[in-house]
Amino acid sequence: MNIALTQDNDAAQVDHDRLQANIVARLRSSLAPASPREWLWIGSLVFMIAAGLAAYAWQCIHGLKVTGMREYISWGVYMTNFVFFIGVSHAGTLISAILRVTGAEWRRSITRMAEAITVFALMVGAPMVIIDMGRPDRILNVLIHGRLNSPILWDVFSICTYISGSLLYLYVAMIPDLALLAPRGAVWERRTGWQRVCGWLSLGYRGSPEQRRLLEKALATMAVIIIPVAISVHTVVSWIFGMTLRPGWHSTVFGPYFVIGAIFSGTAAIITAMAIFRKVYHLESLLTERQFQNLGRLMLALNLLYIYFTLAEYLTTWYGALEADQRLVELLMGHGTYGRMFWLWAAFCLFLPALIVMLPLKRNLIPRLVVASILINIGMWIKRYLIIVPTLMTTYIPPESAGVNPSYLPTWVEWTVTLGGLATFLLLFTLFAKVFPIISIWETVEGVAEVGAKNIGVDIERPTLPPPRSHPHLHRLLPKPVVAAILIAFCLTIGSAVFAASAPPKLESPAPCPEILVSSIKGEDGPLLTATVRLSQQPIPDAQVEFLVQRAFGRVSLGTIATGKDGTAAVQFPNGLPGDPGGELRIIAELKSPPAYTTCWGEAVVKGALPTPAKAEPFPRALWSPHAPFGLVLTIFVLLSIVWSTYSYVIVQLIKIRKAADS
Amino acid sequence: MNETRREFLGGSLIAGAAVGVGLLADKLVQRSARLEKPGPLTPALTPQGKLIQVATTDAGVAHQHPMPPHAGTALGREEARQGVPGRKWVMVIDLAKCSGCKNCTIACGKMHGTPVDREWIRVFRMQDARHTAPYWFPKPCFHCDNPPCTKVCPVGATYKRQDGIVLIDNERCIGCRFCMAACPYSTRYFNWGRPDNSLAVNAAYSPETGVPRRVGTVEKCDFCPEMAREGILPACVTSCDMAAVYFGDQNEDAVTNADKETVSFSQLLEERAGYRYLAELGTEPRVYYLPPKNRDFPKPSSPHKHKPESPSSPEAHSSHAHAGMSK
Repeated sequence: MNIALTQDNDAAQVDHDRLQANIVARLRSSLAPASPREWLWIGSLVFMIAAGLAAYAWQCIHGLKVTGMREYISWGVYMTNFVFFIGVSHAGTLISAILRVTGAEWRRSITRMAEAITVFALMVGAPMVIIDMGRPDRILNVLIHGRLNSPILWDVFSICTYISGSLLYLYVAMIPDLALLAPRGAVWERRTGWQRVCGWLSLGYRGSPEQRRLLEKALATMAVIIIPVAISVHTVVSWIFGMTLRPGWHSTVFGPYFVIGAIFSGTAAIITAMAIFRKVYHLESLLTERQFQNLGRLMLALNLLYIYFTLAEYLTTWYGALEADQRLVELLMGHGTYGRMFWLWAAFCLFLPALIVMLPLKRNLIPRLVVASILINIGMWIKRYLIIVPTLMTTYIPPESAGVNPSYLPTWVEWTVTLGGLATFLLLFTLFAKVFPIISIWETVEGVAEVGAKNIGVDIERPTLPPPRSHPHLHRLLPKPVVAAILIAFCLTIGSAVFAASAPPKLESPAPCPEILVSSIKGEDGPLLTATVRLSQQPIPDAQVEFLVQRAFGRVSLGTIATGKDGTAAVQFPNGLPGDPGGELRIIAELKSPPAYTTCWGEAVVKGALPTPAKAEPFPRALWSPHAPFGLVLTIFVLLSIVWSTYSYVIVQLIKIRKAADS
Repeated sequence: MNETRREFLGGSLIAGAAVGVGLLADKLVQRSARLEKPGPLTPALTPQGKLIQVATTDAGVAHQHPMPPHAGTALGREEARQGVPGRKWVMVIDLAKCSGCKNCTIACGKMHGTPVDREWIRVFRMQDARHTAPYWFPKPCFHCDNPPCTKVCPVGATYKRQDGIVLIDNERCIGCRFCMAACPYSTRYFNWGRPDNSLAVNAAYSPETGVPRRVGTVEKCDFCPEMAREGILPACVTSCDMAAVYFGDQNEDAVTNADKETVSFSQLLEERAGYRYLAELGTEPRVYYLPPKNRDFPKPSSPHKHKPESPSSPEAHSSHAHAGMSK
């Protein structure tokens, strides 16, 4: 019995090895050393990246004035790129995770590619905000002085969490393949340093049942936790706009609208990437029409959802027709540049892809989907631009009122940096596919073994291409772009204008002033302020006395009144007159007549005023104050704790895998 | 503050020694060239509501108030985060008096050294509806009590003080411009390139003055806090020939204009139906407007239109005294 079992196991192992060798053979052309054509491609990408870095250095030296951004339109192409790439990043992780959680078998050959898109899109998208910053040299202030009240901090947290999670997810799902790459002769014949790295990264994974169980656990956990993280990221990105009071941004639908748009553009990005890899590396047997068809259906569903959200957003804005909203709608749907861009976007992202995908044609499925995907990706970039620029132009006070006509035209610096960013994304993806299997080998093998090749949508009967000639050395030639961060030295110029403030000449009093005694007394109808005017102990009657209260920048009059026979004038001490913290008030009595004494005055500090606070009020917990509202802090803390403790749990499983290898 | 000064000294030693002499000569040439240029045209609104173009010199540049740059003693970066204890600065702008001469804009630009078109108070020509009369609308920063800008600042570079003022620490600002996007009143400006610091070359940086100005950071109207603390009115207030701008302390319930008329803040708002611009946004601005009713704006006629320190016209004075007295 034992012998029979062992024989069964041996037979299964042989089957497994044969299957694995079959899949590996199909990936040989992608893992082979770069061909001259590929070198040309890599070279031109490196050139574009270098150009982008040079343009960024230029911007660092001269400040953001080398961009087209100015007052009113203070965000432009960089923010567009940021939102666009974060959107594309949803391709991956989310789709791979959803398909994994729901057990969609056809996912097996596309998950790796999808997860890689996420990581690389984030690596390009996230630095776009830093490129947009006026003072990138102060980036650490975000950590030193970070305020939880700011959606930018939420973005920092969520994007860091997302990029860590995506890397972890990509890595966990790659461990068996890394183990496969590591030994000599499995994929590459000669043992290179790269294989040693793979071996080290594979944590000694041998596919033992214990390791297998731990890996499944880690992967299932990651797939579940990464879905809310991905959704939160694009929601928070939308809140950069949604939390402001701008017409067109302050919309409750913005979070879900952005998330759907992101998954939509992400799906399109996967389809494009799949088609390219399929063509370039002859992966027709692993990326079959089955994957394209299913992703096409998913894309169509997202397309319809996107139409629905667009309608919800713009119909509400247009119908409600607030004054500033009217101007925005006019700008977006009217005849100008933005109007043309808007309708181009509507065609590219709403109508054409749906039509193309729904065409009842059996043939040319893949080319049709690729055309639709490229239209969607271009359209989504335009849409991000339209979300940012026209809204910034639509202010509550039309800038035309001050004779300003804001306009925005991106400069060569912005375009070069943008192209450099795109080239970075493409280069990272290209290199990844050269040094790692772009298709998950172990998942495909497992799928074929468990449910059959047909059910996971691969065709392993198709003949493979001839094996490659030599070993990849590419990793040695990996370009290591060093970002030149040039600190701006301030050039302080010399020269100052002197404004001489000439003091007015002091007027001499024409006659000696009478003595003016100010006091407050209790009258019949409440307190009175009195001023007694005497000259050499003689009261002066019928002199006009003005009572004044000293304030920060001048004196408030309480009234002018004539003195009586005793030389005393009195006015009501008004109720509720604010005084100093002790309720004291400086009262000035100024003579208005007789003319000889018009510059004479007397003063006294009297009690009876309303005390004002002595100290500055402490800052409350509020969004605008240095202290974040308690609920906000708690929410952020709880959410981050849940996600990061889940990550830790996954890492613990990885450590266990490593330990299981030693025993 | 000491640190700032040291930094500044270091910077000026390097930059100053290298380029100082050459730049000084350069600056002088530029300055004289600027003076010789014919002044630009300024739109002015006649009492009938007709828009005409007048030379900017006519509109009030000629009788510029001599304004020393930053008359008060500005506080260092940390001290400047606390407001003046017990104060609540507030501004009132009487739209019935504003003639659109833009003296406030010019004085502000001169004092803070901001470039043309980026002055911290700017005058808009407003018209609420097609058939209503247009009016001039000077717009500084509103120093909101629920400021959307300080809410979104990721590093606390812009902050609200207890005395109501919203300031910016240009040595902490990272230049993300989120506050500019968040401000519904578009009162924030950005140093896209290197700013001209020739007026403030000897100053240590203080958020209370915003000088020396920093490249890649946001700036805006600051209510001239270092002057207010010492009882000096902001430049836009004192430069207003129409005395349309009032500034004061809400706790004291008193505001003062260029004519040194000090009136009760609450009475002024009550009698003249004061309102806050776009207050429905919930921002609680600290700048109040008096509606442009019975507009009285002949354009400032002579440089000496100003009344003497104590008002000579008894009618005008007693009316204000009444405003102060009545309950």
